[in-house]
Amino acid sequence: MRHPSEGVLRRLVDEPAGVTDDDRAHAAGCPTCLRALDGARADAQLVGAALATPTADLDADAAWARLSTTTTAPVRQASVARGRWRTAVRRPAVAVLSAVVLVTGAGVAAANDWLPIFQTERVDPVEVTSADLVQVPDLSAYGDLQITEEADPQEVADAATALERTGLAVPEVAELPEGVTGDPAYQAAGVVSGTFTFSAAKAAQAAAAEGEVLPPPPAGVDGSRLRIEAGPGVAAVWSQPTGVPTLVVARVVAPKVYSSGVPFETVRDYLLSLPGLPDGLADQLRDLSADGGTLPLPVPAELVTSSIAEVNGSTATVLTSRDGLFAGVVWVEDGVMTGVAGSLSADELLSVARGLR
Amino acid sequence: MTAPVSVAGLRSAARAWPERKRRVGTSRDRTDVRADLEAVFRSEYARVVAVAARVLGSRDQAEDVAQEVFLSFGRSSVPADEAGGWLTVAAAHTALNLLRSGRRRSAREEAAEDGPTVVPDVADLVVTREERRSVRAALARLPHKQASALVLRHSGLSYAEVAAALDMSPGSVGTTVRRAESVLLKELNRHASPE
Repeated sequence: MRHPSEGVLRRLVDEPAGVTDDDRAHAAGCPTCLRALDGARADAQLVGAALATPTADLDADAAWARLSTTTTAPVRQASVARGRWRTAVRRPAVAVLSAVVLVTGAGVAAANDWLPIFQTERVDPVEVTSADLVQVPDLSAYGDLQITEEADPQEVADAATALERTGLAVPEVAELPEGVTGDPAYQAAGVVSGTFTFSAAKAAQAAAAEGEVLPPPPAGVDGSRLRIEAGPGVAAVWSQPTGVPTLVVARVVAPKVYSSGVPFETVRDYLLSLPGLPDGLADQLRDLSADGGTLPLPVPAELVTSSIAEVNGSTATVLTSRDGLFAGVVWVEDGVMTGVAGSLSADELLSVARGLR
Repeated sequence: MTAPVSVAGLRSAARAWPERKRRVGTSRDRTDVRADLEAVFRSEYARVVAVAARVLGSRDQAEDVAQEVFLSFGRSSVPADEAGGWLTVAAAHTALNLLRSGRRRSAREEAAEDGPTVVPDVADLVVTREERRSVRAALARLPHKQASALVLRHSGLSYAEVAAALDMSPGSVGTTVRRAESVLLKELNRHASPE
């Protein structure tokens, strides 16, 4: 009979009873399988040892006291909400955003050179759930993402230095909202660019690891390349003495995507069909990409609501956290994206946005 | 100072736990804490910290994660007899999210870390601090499902439980865990298996 798979052998290490009698009997009498079984056992022990972290002598009383204080103290709300917000918008969202930016865009006929296929003209929220964020495949699993230029964000002394480094003027706030005081810290970041080369072999591997089968890639997709470019950007950040940012005003040269090789729609439709991308999200992205200038902004629907407002002639997206603690306004004008966000109400932020100079 | 800890992990724990269990949600008011919280806390605290510590390699951070996990549990209506599994899954997800958020550990925490770990019954398995760190970096880069399956399995969940928690077929758990182990060992630069 055929040798049992390495997954079966792995289970044999932990749960012999979970493996079929046939597999167990085969493994017991097959030198190849016995060797593989030994390897699996040794690997498992080594990983177990590497993960082991001493936690003896925990002070459960002190920990319980800490928890009791928290469960009865509603003041913690702000910090919990902040953590949730940050987590929701940080890493997974960035992964989604980069995937999404790469897979959406105007259809192009066959392109042999780098062709601009997507130039941000507006921003549209795409509602996802946190579960979707976890599910969306990390693009690096489907090919090679090579960052060719790093943004190298740095705090700079003042707005003039930020301008000098990036060529972008930090928007000036006409009147600070109530509760926002002091001088802002200035951040400047350069251009970030990267090339994504699709690899059918890598994608098949990633799919297999998740127990899925990769749909066969259309001709020419394997090895096709997409190039993304974003930045530079500048930001002014006002914070409370505790370090919690109260107001952030940022301006960034909006992302652009270029394609080489196969028709872009082919790549997009294929990427959207990969296992791991939730169906609803894929549909939304497909709809969005009919308009090649819309940057889809993934928004965790259960945490944030979105609406539209007008900021000095541009259509802006307004995001408000459901607990009302945070809001943000973002819009694009002439390829430059401007955002205002903070622990303020949407109205306050809109008035800051409309008063920017 | 407690670091802000993700609750998204709990949400995905709730999502990932089987449908029957998922419906019990976390719907209580902020102040309405379940009556059996202290009893469950005292019996499960060490287990929850150990799960998170396996992911994070830091006892301090693991205790922070445990606080967050029990806080959510206190506001949930998870049946008491399912608390152990729920807490394990929630601890693994929350800790992985924290690890993947890339927040660097403070120098103080690094310094306070103890020396090499020796697994008592496998005396020759000595893992250096450097190796433990690179294993965690590799863990952070693994696909979420692989990392979760690995951590849950090494935290003592059965193959059937891991499959249920991660919405996988039981047959694919072994393959997923084995792959994750191979990736981590590559990081350690020493495959124990004869190749």
